[in-house]
Amino acid sequence: MKLNTVGKNIIRVDSYSKVTGKALYPQDIYLENMLYAKTLRSESPHAYIEVDTTEAEKVDGVVKIFTHKDVPYNHHGVVLHDHNVFCDKKVRSIGDPIAFIVGESEEACIRSMKAIKVNYAEIPGVFDPVEAMKEDSPKVHDDKSNIIYHYKLRKGNVEEAFKNCAVIVENTYSTHMQEHAFLQPEAGLSYVDEDGTIVVVVATQYPHYDREIIARALNLKDEQVRIINTNIGGAFGAREDITMQIHLALASKTLNRPVKVIYNREESFLAHSKRHPMIMKYKTGADKDGYLMAMEAEIIGDSGAYCSWAINVLRKAGVHSTGPYVIPNVKVDSYAVYTNNPFTGAMRGFGATQVPNAAEQQMDILAEKLGISPIEIRRRNIFRVGSKTATGQVLLEGVPLDRCLETIAEKYEEFLELKEFGNLKAEEESI
Amino acid sequence: MKKRGVGIGLSFYGTGYGNGFPDVSNAEVQLMEDGKVAIFVGATEVGQGAKTALIQIGAETLQLDYKNIIFINEDTDMMPDSGTAAATRQTYNTGNAIKIACENFNEEIKKAAQKALGLNSTAGLIVKDGVVYLAMFPDKRISYKELSKIYKDDIIKAKGTFTAQTVKMDDETGQGAPYWPYTFNACMVLVEVDTNTGRVELLKSIFAQDVGRAVNPRLVEGQMDGGFAMGLGYTLFEDLNLDKGKMRNNRFSKYLIPTSMDMIDIENIIIEDPESTAPYGAKGIGEPTTIPVGPAILNAIYDATGVRVTHLPVTPENLMKAIRESEKSEAI
Repeated sequence: MKLNTVGKNIIRVDSYSKVTGKALYPQDIYLENMLYAKTLRSESPHAYIEVDTTEAEKVDGVVKIFTHKDVPYNHHGVVLHDHNVFCDKKVRSIGDPIAFIVGESEEACIRSMKAIKVNYAEIPGVFDPVEAMKEDSPKVHDDKSNIIYHYKLRKGNVEEAFKNCAVIVENTYSTHMQEHAFLQPEAGLSYVDEDGTIVVVVATQYPHYDREIIARALNLKDEQVRIINTNIGGAFGAREDITMQIHLALASKTLNRPVKVIYNREESFLAHSKRHPMIMKYKTGADKDGYLMAMEAEIIGDSGAYCSWAINVLRKAGVHSTGPYVIPNVKVDSYAVYTNNPFTGAMRGFGATQVPNAAEQQMDILAEKLGISPIEIRRRNIFRVGSKTATGQVLLEGVPLDRCLETIAEKYEEFLELKEFGNLKAEEESI
Repeated sequence: MKKRGVGIGLSFYGTGYGNGFPDVSNAEVQLMEDGKVAIFVGATEVGQGAKTALIQIGAETLQLDYKNIIFINEDTDMMPDSGTAAATRQTYNTGNAIKIACENFNEEIKKAAQKALGLNSTAGLIVKDGVVYLAMFPDKRISYKELSKIYKDDIIKAKGTFTAQTVKMDDETGQGAPYWPYTFNACMVLVEVDTNTGRVELLKSIFAQDVGRAVNPRLVEGQMDGGFAMGLGYTLFEDLNLDKGKMRNNRFSKYLIPTSMDMIDIENIIIEDPESTAPYGAKGIGEPTTIPVGPAILNAIYDATGVRVTHLPVTPENLMKAIRESEKSEAI
């Protein structure tokens, strides 16, 4: 196929505006008669709250303080609607939004925010997902179990297969929470246009989703809400959940004036999801020739206080837990669990980033026990065209993993030489 | 003492919403007054290069210079829903929707040209560089600009929808076809570990990434560099220092992310193997590029030190702890 445009190194169409600073982000936009806003957030990871805004409303320059009482449908969430737009009776993690203060200036909003009285009646929290799975652990969402989801993968018979393995490796691995750390912290503004449409200007990953969620929370039709997506300073999954969108739409709809809010870096850390920490218990076995025979894994993912994408993320972790290898006998259980930690959600790799930290180390440990190289054990087990995954999916085409592996394998000796050279030099220097 | 080690990591990554959930992208294409062609899609440019790559797919199908394409993807009042800019799905899913919409548009503009040129059929009509002409008698031709004037009140437009194929997994056995397509990669690194400080320095890396087909090779390499940096930060630096639900490291003075000073020149190798269900064979690569980096580094740290680090992140403090524990267990 002769291609004219696909395959060409065309310079990014958005590069000029971005490198010259002409590209607009919500932070850069000012509208006439615009109000500013600040978000009051929970300082406790688990508490019943009582909020008193009486004094705060008297602060000069404050126009209105929005709380849960002002929201027609006070729930949202990408899968389960377990987030509150504003917490009403209970906060479940540090950073949960409680109130949205709108005023003539940012300073007025900050003064007012400090005058809001929040009485926190602390509840014991749970911060370890393994603890949270126990029946007598504190419950994050009313009386519901903290176990949000359990994914099961069953193929063949692992018990039998382990009996026939020449080598078996067992380890428990864990990964930590990660922040997306995009360049542009969240910001947005809203206004009501001439025909009454609520317009929300944000930097978001999925504008049609934002529109639907705003409309549902405010009891509007989708068509009554319009999202304008500005330039976006990175996302990596952190702009999938709602942050300020409903707050802004509610404020402009009520006050009929433009409203703007900007999060600083610390607030940005609090406002969006994180990468799921996972505890991964692995048992992997191979025969004497280095062919994988069986794998058993238990994966526990910390969803924090809200579900966000936890179900999909732990499912994806389970599916990808084998690594890109043919394994005839597989048993995987993955769990998504509520805790009172900051909530976790989508982040580049979406559950498939955590599991290889376990699976790929297992491969190297097996190779060492068998006396073969890390390259060789992979060569014997990788997915190729026609391979079947642990879920029974046939990989019909587009499986150039052998080419990927051979590309790096060609350089393996060179890398080893550089290693030996460096180590010799270091030894000489140490003498 | 400084010790070097080599490590590799392989990964696969299933793209799209997956698990039988309807993964739908819509696109609309329309002739504009000046003879340019507008593409309307709800695919967000988050910095990954969607806008450029999707324009290229459109330009290829329309047989038009990419400069003559107006791309609208910022306003829910103007664009159809093309799903989220996530799940490494925009190049494959919305790319397919754009390709279908542009193919439909080519047929529509041929019909319009047939009428304007007084021909019996659209058979043998070719679209190329903003002109419709008859292959057997190229003098029979009309430009998009002329057509836009003729059809100004009856705009020439077309739509395209693409729905990806996946099969929901069984609740008890997990059997099914949860994702398609899958993207593959392999990464090798050479690191140097200072066993007195626990600092890990990256010295060299080669990274092979399956892309199906590279729509824009330079943008692919950009993703590979960025994905590598993110994997590096995840594995070695980034630590929120969570304490009873509180992030103690909640700003960049404490939460360390990689800078250009931590990066090296990665030898990025693009592996092409066009996927038949993809637009011009192109698969998504946004997320996969970050995945094999951590495992390669972890395996290299073991190769250098003989210590298996099973708990991330491998900050100098954590690595020193692991080295001391391993020395202790060896002494016993």
